[in-house]
Amino acid sequence: MISLSLDSSPSPSPSPTVSISSEDHDRPPSPMANAPSSFASSLSPPGLSTFHADLATSPITGGFASQMHLSPPSFTSPMRTQSVGSKYLRRQSSSVDEDAVHDALSPTHVSPAQLYSTESGRLFHAGKICIVLVGLPARGKTHLAVSLTRYLRWLGVKTHAFHLGDYRRVHIAPGTDVPDDYFLVNASPSTVILRQRVMAACKADVYRFFEEDRGQVAIYDAVNPTSAGRRVLVKEFSQRGIQTLFIESICDKPEIIEANVRSVKISSPDYIGWDEKEAIKHYLRRISDKIPHYETLDEPEFSYIKLYNAGERILLNNSRMGYLPNRIVFYLMNLHIKAGCVYFARAGKSTEQMPRYKSDPRLSDEGRTYARILTDTLLEHRRSEHTARVTHGDNSPERELIVWTSTRRRTIETSTEFEKRGFSCRQRPQLSQMHPGSCDGLSGKELEKQFPEEVELHKKDPYRHRFPRAESYHDLAVRLEPVILEMERIPNDILIIAHVSVLRVLYGYLMACSPFDIPALDFERNEIVEIIPSAYNNKVKRIKIYGVEESQTL
Amino acid sequence: MGGYSFQAENVQICVIMVGLPARGKSLIAQKIVRYLTWLSIRAKCFNVGNYRRLETAHPTAEFFDVNNSEGERLRKMAAESAIRDMFRWLDHEQGVVGILDATNTTKSRRNWILELCRKRNVEPMFIESWCDDEDLIMQNIMDVKTTSPDYIGQDPERAALDFRNRIRNYEKVYETISERDLTYVKLINVGSQVIINRIQSYLESRIVYYLMNLHIKPRCIWLSRHGESAFNLTGKIGGDSDLSARGREYARQLPQLVKMSVGDRPLTVWTSTLKRTQQTAKYLPYRQLTWKALDELDAGQCDGLTYEEIESRYPDDFAARDENKYEYRYPGGESYRDVVVRLEPIIMELERQENIMIVTHQAVLRCIYAYFMNVSQDQSPWMEVPLHTLIKLEPKAYGTEVIRIKADIPAVSTYREKGQSAKIKK
Repeated sequence: MISLSLDSSPSPSPSPTVSISSEDHDRPPSPMANAPSSFASSLSPPGLSTFHADLATSPITGGFASQMHLSPPSFTSPMRTQSVGSKYLRRQSSSVDEDAVHDALSPTHVSPAQLYSTESGRLFHAGKICIVLVGLPARGKTHLAVSLTRYLRWLGVKTHAFHLGDYRRVHIAPGTDVPDDYFLVNASPSTVILRQRVMAACKADVYRFFEEDRGQVAIYDAVNPTSAGRRVLVKEFSQRGIQTLFIESICDKPEIIEANVRSVKISSPDYIGWDEKEAIKHYLRRISDKIPHYETLDEPEFSYIKLYNAGERILLNNSRMGYLPNRIVFYLMNLHIKAGCVYFARAGKSTEQMPRYKSDPRLSDEGRTYARILTDTLLEHRRSEHTARVTHGDNSPERELIVWTSTRRRTIETSTEFEKRGFSCRQRPQLSQMHPGSCDGLSGKELEKQFPEEVELHKKDPYRHRFPRAESYHDLAVRLEPVILEMERIPNDILIIAHVSVLRVLYGYLMACSPFDIPALDFERNEIVEIIPSAYNNKVKRIKIYGVEESQTL
Repeated sequence: MGGYSFQAENVQICVIMVGLPARGKSLIAQKIVRYLTWLSIRAKCFNVGNYRRLETAHPTAEFFDVNNSEGERLRKMAAESAIRDMFRWLDHEQGVVGILDATNTTKSRRNWILELCRKRNVEPMFIESWCDDEDLIMQNIMDVKTTSPDYIGQDPERAALDFRNRIRNYEKVYETISERDLTYVKLINVGSQVIINRIQSYLESRIVYYLMNLHIKPRCIWLSRHGESAFNLTGKIGGDSDLSARGREYARQLPQLVKMSVGDRPLTVWTSTLKRTQQTAKYLPYRQLTWKALDELDAGQCDGLTYEEIESRYPDDFAARDENKYEYRYPGGESYRDVVVRLEPIIMELERQENIMIVTHQAVLRCIYAYFMNVSQDQSPWMEVPLHTLIKLEPKAYGTEVIRIKADIPAVSTYREKGQSAKIKK
């Protein structure tokens, strides 16, 4: 039996390269913000708990975290938890290099791509909606919950995911497994009481989210295997004025299920030494033992979405809830479970000291050198990563790399080395930098001299403020939505060579940054920023480019 | 440039409509064209029926019997002409999305089109409209028999009967889409169920998303500007002023005007968050919702100025605006294109709803009108939309009907022609 460590180690975030502005209204006040080591007394880290979503603290899932490339384990014993359900069992991330998708939002939070908000704080007059996920374990439900949360928040819909597994773990002594009859319809009285307690704790947080925090969409991540259970949910929610939308994740391709199980469920110490295929079979059998009766969604009066094989096929039933369900389906059409990683790099230096938008300058000699070094560095990095993977027994093929640039000359020229070596390079007009308007070509000093009031206004709201005739970061975010969705749908690794303003917004989406952080994000020329998606948390890695000195931003 | 050009390399899509007659296929096809064009994506519809009409103008139901070999031959020829034209348009006119509007109800016909697309490297996407709701079908038949060119000049009863027989002939050979490796969308009973299969690109997902919001229930949309405002009287743009006396008169008369047009149908009224639209709508006895997206185009630094003041303070801007009014953005403000972007959720929601009345502002109204009436980007910012006028839009199978209902209350004109700064007082 693997005992769960009660200590936490702070997650290995690199020193933040950004200064979070002191007027950080958006970040919920968190006493933990400057003391990562004290996270032990807060609650379980996002990534981990979701692994347990279905089988709680079984020995199988107990200790594997150390082997995953996620934030290190930080289990919470029920005794140490301050209060179950305090801010939805999540710690607040303290730096922009940590994925903030699991953080609770403050009631006054404003999102990066939010077009506008209504009086109630709820967008599009859509009211309160609870998305109830349905599906057996290893069907990608939690990944779905996390991705949806990321996207909906981006749009300005106050969303939060509630993983039932987290609540289950808090109610079960560490190191013990869930009772064998936990998922059975006619369970023993003690199990029923346990179940009810767990559900009540979770639902309490859901209602708190709607009522106290002006939340709009709650995502309830659990198996929800029976029709009867689902009907009860719908009734209870409707009594509180909450509409219910079901999303069922169905896999009829064994490869997908196996891949999920392999990556998420069986890398625990319990399966060390097992033949991989045997381990997968064993895990799947445990699931079918624990959850013998699973009823797929079939209630015609419910509003539901059935997602087959991670988006290959989508069935939408009876959606009368307005803008949101359709928007969700739109996103689902573009979402895939295994995404490639994204690399961010700047264009090389151009012939102009302060490159002007209107002149669209080409690369200087220094810039061309940079382009070559960039190409070599990235390809070498990928080679060594691949070798490392192979050494560890992972023989999965290397994902193909594609390159995206804007239509501005210096980005295209930076990509020519890649093109010469046979990589596919695509130019996208939306990746052009933020339009500088009347500030084209002005230095910081000149800006202060010519537009002093604008500079003041800009300091107050760097995300939304527009200089005369220019775009704001918010405009960029809205403009970049097609790129973001395409990034979600492409299985390749992508290198994006673009301008700093664009990289900031894309990074902000992937790492769920707040609008206050995005304008201050740093992208130096001597680094390639790599974002590695995983089901529950996107992670950042910075790859140093040697032979290139640090440059000034712009 | 700008707008929604997705990829520099040319991805071209051929949308293939599938479904029995009177299932709303043409309506859907035309709406897709209109929506994509509004978003600056080149789209065009190729209606096989139109090609067929060139040869056979007034066919009877027997023409469509599958055992009628002459009819089959002529219909196949029409399909070939339509497809040929579509590929020519895709090749030579920078087309992005071509829509083949026909029944395409058999697997063999669909396979034939598939092969042609694959040879040309055009992505095929099927849209099937499946309906067994008798009322909806009846409504469509009524619509068609009164407005279709096939039945012009005929006795409506006979037309309806003949059309029903035509549908029956198609029903005999109908094969719904079931091949799992095709890219398709199946709309069942107008969106009560939607099946989406193997979407290949962002553009396709965008089209599907739009489709999911559509319905073919008959309904009307009423558009009106707010009543004359205090700023209107002094020629100032923007601001959040109250109504003038004449504006208030319009607000008082509006309920009667609306009642005459709407009758007993249920209606919801949408206004912006600015006072003048809410004051205009306040006597209307219907459910009201406010939308920030319906607020007037933000004039930024020029907010609260008259056109003369703008011309004297920012002469370059004033000229630049005239040159390309759609793209020009006020310093610190918005352009028409920006308004279109922020109006997209409104348009989507409008498509989902039934009878709606929108009380809004000049620029916003122009953008909404441009969407429904397919007005081009160089024309829409110059459209005349006078105060105290109720515009009724009625989307029909073969086009949208427009009726302008003027209230008998004089108002200033806020219309400015190119190059002019002085307003013309009425």
